[in-house]
Amino acid sequence: MSNSSDQAATGGDATALLEVRGLRKSFSGNVVLSDVDLAVLAGEVHAIVGENGAGKSTLIKVLAGVYQPDAGQLFREGRELRLSSPRAAFEHGIVVIHQELSLAPHLSAGENIFLGHYPTTRLGTIHRARMHRRTRELLDTLGISIDQRQPVGELSIAQQQMVEIAKAISLDAKVLILDEPTAVLDEPMVKTLFALLERLKRRGIGLVFISHHLEEIFRVADRVTVLRDGVRTGLSAVRDITQDWLVAKMIGREFPPHQVQVRSSGKPALEVEGLCVRGAFEDVSFSVRQGEIVGLAGLVGAGRSEVAQAIVGITRPSAGSIKVFGRVARIANSNAAARLGIAYVTEDRKAFGLLPNRAVRENATISNLARFRRFGFLKRGEEKAYVQRLIERLDVRLSSMEAEIRTLSGGNQQKVLIGRALAVEPKILIFDEPTRGVDIGAKREIYAFIEELVAGGVAIVLISSEMEEILRLSDRVVVMRRGRVAATLSHGEANENSIMRAAALAGESA
Amino acid sequence: MTHPIRRSSLNVATLAMIWRRVGVLVALALVVAVASFLSHRFLTVPNLLNVLRQVAIVGILALGMTFVILTRGIDLSVGSILGISVVLYAGLLENHGMLVAIPLGVCAAMAAGLVNGVGISYAGIPPFIMTLGMLSFARGLAFIYTGGTPIPILNESFYDLGNGYLLGIPIPSLILISVLVASGIVLSLTPFGRSIYAIGSNEDAARLSGVPVRFYKTLVYVISGGVSGLAGLVYASQLSIGTPIAGQGYELDAIAAVVVGGTSLFGGKGSVVGTFLGTLIIGVLANILNLTGVDPFVQQLFKGALIVLAVFIMTRSNRA
Repeated sequence: MSNSSDQAATGGDATALLEVRGLRKSFSGNVVLSDVDLAVLAGEVHAIVGENGAGKSTLIKVLAGVYQPDAGQLFREGRELRLSSPRAAFEHGIVVIHQELSLAPHLSAGENIFLGHYPTTRLGTIHRARMHRRTRELLDTLGISIDQRQPVGELSIAQQQMVEIAKAISLDAKVLILDEPTAVLDEPMVKTLFALLERLKRRGIGLVFISHHLEEIFRVADRVTVLRDGVRTGLSAVRDITQDWLVAKMIGREFPPHQVQVRSSGKPALEVEGLCVRGAFEDVSFSVRQGEIVGLAGLVGAGRSEVAQAIVGITRPSAGSIKVFGRVARIANSNAAARLGIAYVTEDRKAFGLLPNRAVRENATISNLARFRRFGFLKRGEEKAYVQRLIERLDVRLSSMEAEIRTLSGGNQQKVLIGRALAVEPKILIFDEPTRGVDIGAKREIYAFIEELVAGGVAIVLISSEMEEILRLSDRVVVMRRGRVAATLSHGEANENSIMRAAALAGESA
Repeated sequence: MTHPIRRSSLNVATLAMIWRRVGVLVALALVVAVASFLSHRFLTVPNLLNVLRQVAIVGILALGMTFVILTRGIDLSVGSILGISVVLYAGLLENHGMLVAIPLGVCAAMAAGLVNGVGISYAGIPPFIMTLGMLSFARGLAFIYTGGTPIPILNESFYDLGNGYLLGIPIPSLILISVLVASGIVLSLTPFGRSIYAIGSNEDAARLSGVPVRFYKTLVYVISGGVSGLAGLVYASQLSIGTPIAGQGYELDAIAAVVVGGTSLFGGKGSVVGTFLGTLIIGVLANILNLTGVDPFVQQLFKGALIVLAVFIMTRSNRA
């Protein structure tokens, strides 16, 4: 079946709105895209799917003129192009709608749409009446119903997306690239967005649609291109394929077999029951024993970090209970969590982790200064000795523990923050994307360290978007999807296929 | 495999740090050198003690302000809080004596700081706005208390606080130095002081690390208020009069001293020693301009230029 659709794809060279052939791109010797072909036809939704790191975002950036390809050709309606900048792509009618929208929140829809080319009166002031009229016309033809005078910041995310799309259309965009537009939308909003995509199709716009939610591909896309490790592994009309076909094309590679040895775990350390934070997640239940790692898998935005934040008291749950060593705990803040022996290593080092312009020493001990206090004063000597031991234990590489932490590499920063969590001597440790922005070497060391901790009886929750990380470390895997637990997989059941299905497919629970 | 810390390596960050540490000192040395070159009267013990006495009030305010600015806040109300304490000292001394007047004046100043702190930390009002409000409010209270007419101070032992000497050193300077030592100890040797830096560096990270952010931020404004009350003591004593306009505009001088002293308005970086040196730089500059007979109106230009220059140099060294 894929043969016939391949032909359909290559048959339409001249009619393709946008086409790339033999695209290759590498970063410092690391090949990210090799020999990738893609054709976007007028009036189609062309989905691109692939795991994290498959090359989707690099491909988009090449199409948007952000990256220059190392090799390959790019055609716009049959004419070869070079896109030297995002500006050039834009002038050729190629517009990317990013997940983070680029609207001015205090301006109205009309003011945003005509930003930079306002209709003016003879006096040089903005011709409001004409701007409103043209905005109305545009929104009407696209079937977008919003109050165009309201500041866009007060509109829902979906409506803001639509304003951004309308803006692109008003600037004569012919190819719209939607980078995970549904990641931040709930189901009714997704429906409205898809209806808009249908109308855009009828206008002859070519749409490129990126999504991690595979069932959406079947709802909205006409054709799909699958990427894996920078190579196109599949291209087909959507009506000809099944979800199994997609998953198979996405995964393809063999993973090292899931750890054979099962850790012998102790008594339950953390039990979460029916936990709920309004607007973030619902009815989440799982438990972690001493000396056990439970992986929390799922797509970005599935609500995993929010669960962690509720457990450590950053947000307050609206329902459900948390038990720590068998006792119901009400955790009001990080201090309370620390007293119960719970520590959290954040996924967002910059926003919630680092004290950027303070010394490594201060960063490492801020979570438990009481430890070095005698008669109200800090014992510097003890603190230094402690940090020195920590640096050796975690193998942090630095010039001096007095260096500002922002001068360290991502991996070393992360090790210091892990050290900070250890300062409270946690019995339950929640790692949120512990190896994000960390180089391979440091990654391996962090894995080894996590294993060392768990061997010492610490209960660990591991939130990760990296399949390999989850499979390599976890004893059990809880998969979340859109704010709910989609599956709880035992050691034997957890593999890339079962996790991917639970995380990305609606109505399927393993 | 362990990687011992190498102490010898000097990178750009440490160079910037060294500049921050000694740059202010170098600047002070430079100003002193130029001053002694311009006037032979400058480098004499009586003149230097005079400088140290003249900077006392603003210097004390600036030390409290340092706590606030380290948390990335600002306290615009210190001049008005000083004003409140001054009229209270004047009003209470006559009938109740020093032992009542001083504690009550200082407590009132701390209470004003507490209101600032609660408004900022618990009600979430931006420091600039909250303390701008207090600037007006506290000044209004001072006017209401006095009915608009200054209250004379006749108490003689109170007079010594601002004008007397102890071991040959002006008492206001001794108060300044005591506050410097105390605040230096608090900032560098206590968990509270350490947390102040953490809050200024990244408030969210500090909160997640278990630092009682709201409580400590409140405390910082209480300290700034209380210290303003101490500065008011010196002020009331030196002028021997409780005027409701006492300390008007001093908040800006205090902020200037903190900034010239190398404390970052973006929080998390700086020290009270720097603030003290910054105070001295501004004080020495004013002194030498006086000694050489520069028009007081022109002196303002020098002060303004100095502040801008200091911050310019600092941002440069930070970028390095």
